[in-house]
Amino acid sequence: MITHRRMGATRLALLSSLALASLLYGCGGGETIALEEKGSPFIAFDIWVKAGSQNDPEGKEGLASLTAQLLADGSTQQDTYQQIIEKLYPMAAGYGASVDKEMTVFRGTVHVDNLEGYYGLLKNALLTPAFSQADFDRIKSQTLNYLERQRRYNRDEELSKELLYWMAYQGTPYQHPEEGYVQSVKSITLDDVKAFYDTYYVANNIVTAVGGGFPGGFPQRVRADFDTRPKGRVEKVPAPELEELDRVRILIVEKETDATSISLGFPTELIRGKGDFYAMKLVNAWFGDHRNSFSHLYQVIREKRGMNYGDYSYIEPFPLGYTTQDRPVNVSRRSNLFEIWIRPVGQTWVGDLHPRALFAARAALRELARLTANGLPESEIDRTKVFLSDYSLNYGSTVSRRLAYAVDDAFYGLSGPSGYLAAIRPELAKLTKKDVDGAIEKHLKSPGMYMVFVTRDGEALKKLILSGKATPNTYSGEVLLSLVSEDQQIASWPIVVQGDDIRVMDISEVFESR
Amino acid sequence: MRALIAASLLACASLGAVAPPAAAQSGDDIFPFETRRFELDNGLRAYLIHAGSPGMLAYASVVRTGARDEVEAGVTGFAHFFEHMMFRGTAKYPNYDAVSESFGANRNANTSQDRTFYYLVAGSQYLEKIVDLESDRFQNLSYGEPVFRTEAGAILGEYQQGAYSAFSILDRAVRETIFTEHPYRHQVIGFEADVRAMPQQYQYSLDFFRRFYRPENVVLVVVGDFDFDKAEALIRQSYSGWAPGYQAPAVPAEPAQTKPRTAAVTYSGRTLPMLALNWIAPAWSATDRTAVALEILGDIAFGPNSAMYRKLVIEQQRLQSLQAGFGLSRDPDFVQVMAMVSNPADVQAIEAELLAEVERFKNEPVDEKMLADTKSAARYGFLMGLETHLGVAGAVSRAIINTGEMEPINDYYRTLQSLTADDLREAARQILTEGRRTIVTLTQAGG
Repeated sequence: MITHRRMGATRLALLSSLALASLLYGCGGGETIALEEKGSPFIAFDIWVKAGSQNDPEGKEGLASLTAQLLADGSTQQDTYQQIIEKLYPMAAGYGASVDKEMTVFRGTVHVDNLEGYYGLLKNALLTPAFSQADFDRIKSQTLNYLERQRRYNRDEELSKELLYWMAYQGTPYQHPEEGYVQSVKSITLDDVKAFYDTYYVANNIVTAVGGGFPGGFPQRVRADFDTRPKGRVEKVPAPELEELDRVRILIVEKETDATSISLGFPTELIRGKGDFYAMKLVNAWFGDHRNSFSHLYQVIREKRGMNYGDYSYIEPFPLGYTTQDRPVNVSRRSNLFEIWIRPVGQTWVGDLHPRALFAARAALRELARLTANGLPESEIDRTKVFLSDYSLNYGSTVSRRLAYAVDDAFYGLSGPSGYLAAIRPELAKLTKKDVDGAIEKHLKSPGMYMVFVTRDGEALKKLILSGKATPNTYSGEVLLSLVSEDQQIASWPIVVQGDDIRVMDISEVFESR
Repeated sequence: MRALIAASLLACASLGAVAPPAAAQSGDDIFPFETRRFELDNGLRAYLIHAGSPGMLAYASVVRTGARDEVEAGVTGFAHFFEHMMFRGTAKYPNYDAVSESFGANRNANTSQDRTFYYLVAGSQYLEKIVDLESDRFQNLSYGEPVFRTEAGAILGEYQQGAYSAFSILDRAVRETIFTEHPYRHQVIGFEADVRAMPQQYQYSLDFFRRFYRPENVVLVVVGDFDFDKAEALIRQSYSGWAPGYQAPAVPAEPAQTKPRTAAVTYSGRTLPMLALNWIAPAWSATDRTAVALEILGDIAFGPNSAMYRKLVIEQQRLQSLQAGFGLSRDPDFVQVMAMVSNPADVQAIEAELLAEVERFKNEPVDEKMLADTKSAARYGFLMGLETHLGVAGAVSRAIINTGEMEPINDYYRTLQSLTADDLREAARQILTEGRRTIVTLTQAGG
């Protein structure tokens, strides 16, 4: 077992000369992305189906995810699931599915020695699945075990993030978690899965992306194989339109725990590559770069005060952030939140669980208010440029990741020099203080805020919030003199909220049904 | 659930001139990259390796100290805690984070039972600055008591983000049932009471640094695109003044287990039953055929490609999951088969089936195709882990942790490739015995 100081295991490194993906078009109408890296002994696949949890029918939430899992983890018309495992085993290779709001991707990497055998299995999994009832039963049972038990009990901080999205996207196709609700998944049948596959896994709705040291003509061959799927008309789901949040709304989930997990956030209009995106990327790196001590929030809450394991912010989704420092790929969306993640805050003395949680939340709110009031000084902008320009070289550390970024570029309509990995450094270099402060003004001044707390005794926390009382921090050691005055301000930082806007929910109700 | 499922993933080499084809080993060595080893008079060893993408490098410091070295009462979790303190600066560089940020470095550290691993990944142009920064903190770390106490709060937060899962509770029960003396009894993060008492251990932390952070106990691994001569000169210049003085801890040997043990724990949240079958196993070795055979036996008997997995997970669906963890450690540690059982009434029957399968491997030779496929998987698995600079450093660090040298990694794969069905049967007979066995179950409180 390994514990980590600041982040999960990384597979880092990269890449100064960035290969640019070329977009080809197959004669069948489906798109191909080829990211050739000659001489590489590895070949990566990223098969993108343009459907995600937003396409789940009402009452069948979780269908896109279950469909993808069945294809990735089930039998084909040629091989049983066990035979597939047996064939993949000596290659030390595999493929897996990932489903987000808008996209489903099947990813895998293989050594060039094993390309033919591997590709045959991957192709069959996606083009000629067996839809075996036994496989379906196994995967549905595993999914329900996750939904009923593991999601609720294993990792409160991941749960608090899921709940933040659930709150913010009420009434939209983004509302439900990708894996669905307990009751909706129970209602899904194998026929539902087949119908979803027939509707969305059609030739013109699948992008085939291949990267690495593939042989000549290989991407075209993959495209031709996928063009044997019928074409189909896919209805486009409108992007969620969120109204500006005008007040604070709080969800408290109650369960037995010794630490409080906290997520805060509000809707933004930011989309990768568009408008103020790079200015906000810089601002966000300064304010809360993921699992990095560069994060200002980290410095304030963890480094100076030792309150928890880390504190970060986001302008794009970052599922499973506790597992990795690597940026997620293939979670492209047309709507985003600005999000603050405060890792679990425990109690140091009996009775201080809630005051400490509120102190940490207030510290984050105060820092956000200071940022929006003052903007970023020139010196901090420069410091962030220096850091982020070099640090972002780590993003595309493997051919699989570089390929996935190219797929995301296609999602956002970016290509060539405007592609994300290619554009970060030149776009950062161009930014001025005016750009940065303008972006802060436009995107971070929200009159409202969604707040999620997963903690013990929810009614007591609700009462404490509504009382408006100061919640001083308690330290396990002596209080540093340098922090006393600032701590007083934080402890009484206002959280203005109406009683009706605080909901307390028992853990057993969480994600039970829509 | 959202993560990529299925078998092992990811791989690939990089662009440009530095990366050789992954299959181009010299002789019968599995490790494919050009390497230079040297040792300073004070005992510090360094490996320089040409691999990975152009213009980048990883700089890793492997300290051969981990949770196993926490032999005194009340200081479990200290190796990991100390890892945090290594980021708290020196007189020359009071703010380590700020300096490493200015290189845009991806830097971090992690601690396991047997070692602490520090790394930076950054542009090769920063090599000189990195050697200066890293050599300085390993020799001149300096922090006051208030900062020490503050960091202790962050450790408690780290404990709390992972401590309450069913898996973690089961793991603690397994360790505390198997070990009575050896520090493998505790998780790397430490016992909760010790974590909560850490703010009082400032003086101990200074002793910890003085005893363990010494050149004889540290191995540098530098991977990437850089000049060997220049790097060696920089390292010699910056680390030669580091005084030796490593004091190896008296790690207590675990008394030999002679009888089977069992334990049962409950979980206050909701969970399906979990069943852990464990056997105390020998220390890691690159050349001991029984030890190496045991490591692959786990996958063969209980991995996703095993007969048991096919029967209990795929066909009968009586298990939600079945996993084998048969990797060995620097000292004798346990190997484990872990099952999550779909029906709580089925736990005993599952246990009986898994134990019967163990007996089968003691009596019947392993299938030859399965053995050959496992060797292939081990080889490709190793090669596919070499895509990134950090992946290369991690791949060689397994041998370094256990022996202090990286060369045994080639011996290890030679041994593995030469294994026969008899070796595997012998490993099952010698190690997977009743006398070495500990079975622990975890169930939901209240049924």
